[in-house]
Amino acid sequence: MTASLADIQDLFQDRLLTGRADIAAHLTSGGPFLSVYDHAYVARLLDIMGEDFPAVHTLLGDDAFAEAAGAYVRGHPSTARSVRWLGARFRDWLGDTPPWSDLPVVADMAAFEWGLGLAFDAPDADVLGGAALAAVPPEAWPVLGFDFHPAFNTFELSHEVAPFQQAVAREENPEAAPAPFADGAQTWAAWRDGATCQVRYRALAGDEAAGLALLRDGGDFQTLCETLAGFGEADAAAPRAAGYLRGWVEAGWITGLSAPGLSWA
Amino acid sequence: MTRCQNPFQGFGLGLRPQHFPDILGPAGAEATAGVDWFEIISENFIAVGGMPRRNLMAVRNSRPMAMHGVSLSIGAPDPLDAAYLKGLKDLVDLIEPAVVSDHLCWTGAHGVNLHDLLPLPLTEETLDHVAARVIQVQDVLGRRIVLENASTYVTFTADTMSEWDFLAELTRRADCDLLLDVNNVYVSAFNHGFDPADYLAGIPADRVRQIHLAGHEHNGDHIVDTHDAPVADPVWDLYRRAVCKFGAVPTMIERDANIPPFADLVDELDQARRLAAQALDGAAA
Repeated sequence: MTASLADIQDLFQDRLLTGRADIAAHLTSGGPFLSVYDHAYVARLLDIMGEDFPAVHTLLGDDAFAEAAGAYVRGHPSTARSVRWLGARFRDWLGDTPPWSDLPVVADMAAFEWGLGLAFDAPDADVLGGAALAAVPPEAWPVLGFDFHPAFNTFELSHEVAPFQQAVAREENPEAAPAPFADGAQTWAAWRDGATCQVRYRALAGDEAAGLALLRDGGDFQTLCETLAGFGEADAAAPRAAGYLRGWVEAGWITGLSAPGLSWA
Repeated sequence: MTRCQNPFQGFGLGLRPQHFPDILGPAGAEATAGVDWFEIISENFIAVGGMPRRNLMAVRNSRPMAMHGVSLSIGAPDPLDAAYLKGLKDLVDLIEPAVVSDHLCWTGAHGVNLHDLLPLPLTEETLDHVAARVIQVQDVLGRRIVLENASTYVTFTADTMSEWDFLAELTRRADCDLLLDVNNVYVSAFNHGFDPADYLAGIPADRVRQIHLAGHEHNGDHIVDTHDAPVADPVWDLYRRAVCKFGAVPTMIERDANIPPFADLVDELDQARRLAAQALDGAAA
């Protein structure tokens, strides 16, 4: 009996994902050139990983990168329409999977490159101007919520990976492997300059990172102030929150303000 | 800015990020003088902003554009991806392309995307399946789509018709058009032992909206469609025959790896232009 289209596709996909040979029985002459598909599947995905993570590649070297990226793509078949998202879980996988998890600088580099990539090509959005904050009515401030630009993203780093990555991006040889931060993990932000489209990044202060995490999770200005108060003098929290907010607006991180039940021009 | 309203005709190139500085730089007008239109990979610009979007629109405002997808997966067993189709429609609305194309293939099943153009058994069942899905896509996009013949490296024991008969019948049932990749015809003909002239003869001329040319890798007993080299001489010969049959169809060079300087591709495109002119002159004589 002739196999159905769906059956043939199941066998073909199984071949590419697991190497099993059952599809050959459905191919003319056993499919002498079936290996073209075997080779193309992994080779194409490894090329994409190399393009998305050139600094991880440099850090690991050709063989180790091929081993790591190969194991990753075999273990994580893509589910996205665009190969752009193939490496979305690479950082977490590197951090969780021996032997790469014994080299946390590698996961850090992957996190940094992925964050810069998100900032580079995330969808556009109109950002708030400075005047928007001045227009917020007093009664709205405590419950004020914030929308963030799609290009703005944050990630944890334990190593000073930026100089290494920048050298690789300039096609130069990095001088040294990234060193760990003396004071432990830091939260970094990456975003896109609205005028030039250039990607920017910087480390966040501890209270700033906590406040941003809270706001991106739906928190309001009042809880931002309360969070910042937990990091220092309570009286300084409100002006510190206002200062941070001005900086975030100037950087183009904020795209919208809202307060439940309130509206203003 | 207004989208370029030039007619979609002549000779184009695949738009690759490496060439944005050549195309949009100070010497861009001169560098692109021989390029009538550009084709983009649709997935590279769906839900994308920043510099890629800015560059895309700058090019679009100076040239007609074709959209060429690799993930529609028209032959897949899964339902069509509604989110993908919405993104595709949004991009169509944004850049107003002359052509929206993808491939006669499937790219994965059960939610997996293998990111390869996989072959389909050429059967009545497949024809019914693909035709119904083409109609669905065309309903969403509000326009005809264009399907390209992919290079294939296997055929199925279940096959009951040739690829050219399959495509001809598909255009009739689904009222879609075709993108004829001449290199792919040559590659598949070599790999499967059919005469490429039979392929050209079986394709309905009034359905061919666009032609692709690309390079390949010859491995002795089979050829791989690599898109990493100049167009091979036998493919140029086949192109000449295609022009004789299909006329002055918009034609482009498709290069996806080992990407040369922009000027080299413009030179190669000039070769296509010269060959097409010779073929059309010969056909008219």
